[in-house]
Amino acid sequence: MQIERGRIRFFSQVLKESDPIHFDLDAARTAGHPDLVAPPSFFMVVEALANEELKRLGRHSAVDIVKCDFRYLLHGDERYFYRAPIYAGEEVEFATKVVDFYDKKGGAMEFVTLESTITNSRRGLLVRSQRNLLHRLPQPRT
Amino acid sequence: MNQIDLTQAEVGAALPEVEFGPISRGTLALYAGASGDHNPAHIDTDFAKKAGLPDVFAQGMLSFGVLSQVVTRWAGVDRVREIGARFASITQVHDRITCKATVTERFEADGEQRVRLALTASAQDGRETLVGDAVVAVG
Repeated sequence: MQIERGRIRFFSQVLKESDPIHFDLDAARTAGHPDLVAPPSFFMVVEALANEELKRLGRHSAVDIVKCDFRYLLHGDERYFYRAPIYAGEEVEFATKVVDFYDKKGGAMEFVTLESTITNSRRGLLVRSQRNLLHRLPQPRT
Repeated sequence: MNQIDLTQAEVGAALPEVEFGPISRGTLALYAGASGDHNPAHIDTDFAKKAGLPDVFAQGMLSFGVLSQVVTRWAGVDRVREIGARFASITQVHDRITCKATVTERFEADGEQRVRLALTASAQDGRETLVGDAVVAVG
């Protein structure tokens, strides 16, 4: 999918980013970047876009596969490894692997470990993530 | 902004803090739109109450995004190699969060000088919401 300039700008504004490389094209270019630079947590925007794309194509995303229930979903921890910036205007690919899935307390707590990457065909791996999410269910699934 | 010289950053040095909020319902709605995280538990009070929650609460990645600024405002996004955090408690609507970072280690990896930072985000009542660390290139 393509990274849109407007999306980086909007995301940066909501987070009150102070560095103009995230919202001012001239500032980004003066700092030596080809276009607006995505902030570190923009990763999740790329993931959301990828999930929308999969939905349009009628395919399942990782959150579908683990039967993500937003009423009970909590973040455990996450870690991002940054190799290179994500720039506006470029095409990126998003991929996720379900690394682990287990439950505790007779199925009332579910844990999932996801590993995801964002890559650009020319520049290679840009960002990698490792995330643990959990469901605190009122009762085990049947 | 760079009150502590990157190349001279010593273990124990504290970085300038970043404050955010109080987080309004408006901010939660805008973040939902900007991020693509449309989980209704953050934007729809009716949904939150039906799920047994007291109210809507902030998106985890909103806090993570604010926390990352403690690192990027100091070092610039280009130097950030790694950011990790554990979600210690839920950030509620109207919380005001303060993010802090301290240098904990200097080391060399992949041919460059790096520092590790200990990161925390906490709410106005002292409750920690995010606890993590980051690795930044300083060479």
